[in-house]
Amino acid sequence: MAQPDEAAPRGTPAVTAAVAVPAGVPVGNPYLAMILAWLVPGLGHIYLRRMGRGLVFLLLALISIWVGFELQGNLYRPLPGQPLTLLATGGAMGMGLPYFVLRYGADYAGDIVGAGYEYGTAFLLTAGLMNWLLVLDAWDISRGKKE
Amino acid sequence: MSHFFLMVLYSLVVSLFFTLLWRRERKDQVRLFLQLFLGMVGGGLLVAWLMYPFPQGPPAPLP
Repeated sequence: MAQPDEAAPRGTPAVTAAVAVPAGVPVGNPYLAMILAWLVPGLGHIYLRRMGRGLVFLLLALISIWVGFELQGNLYRPLPGQPLTLLATGGAMGMGLPYFVLRYGADYAGDIVGAGYEYGTAFLLTAGLMNWLLVLDAWDISRGKKE
Repeated sequence: MSHFFLMVLYSLVVSLFFTLLWRRERKDQVRLFLQLFLGMVGGGLLVAWLMYPFPQGPPAPLP
């Protein structure tokens, strides 16, 4: 007949399992993580206790947005008769709150005759697209599919 | 800000982003970062060098 002690290896496995959370374990609410990740770049990772990574993602997104803003790049918005602008707008909206702050708060539209227009557009669009990837990453981490 | 500086900055931001997104081990991170960063900057320089014989006029000044 098996003794209770034989059910687990030697040591204190029960205590260890309660403290250490192995990689790949679901953490947090995945829907909340996605919303936070979209609203503020990196916030989803911070919510999921990936503080360092989240802060670096936030910094990278802010740098990209700031450079795009300084260069007067295009912050895409839908234009009638130009369906591709819908796609680009969706990409730029990935940056979350900063998009709406720039578009509606600062009434920012970019300067098409500015020398840095194309560069700035690339930075702004990249910030949005990068954050969409962060939203998906936050989902995967929260579901335990990624570390 | 020069064209080259902006290209390097863009490469830096994107390389760092994908490195942190795709890799967890420090050694793998360094390797991927170098691959992405040097690939983008080197690729940009290579394309610029290939286009050099076909100038389109003076470069526009950046703010």
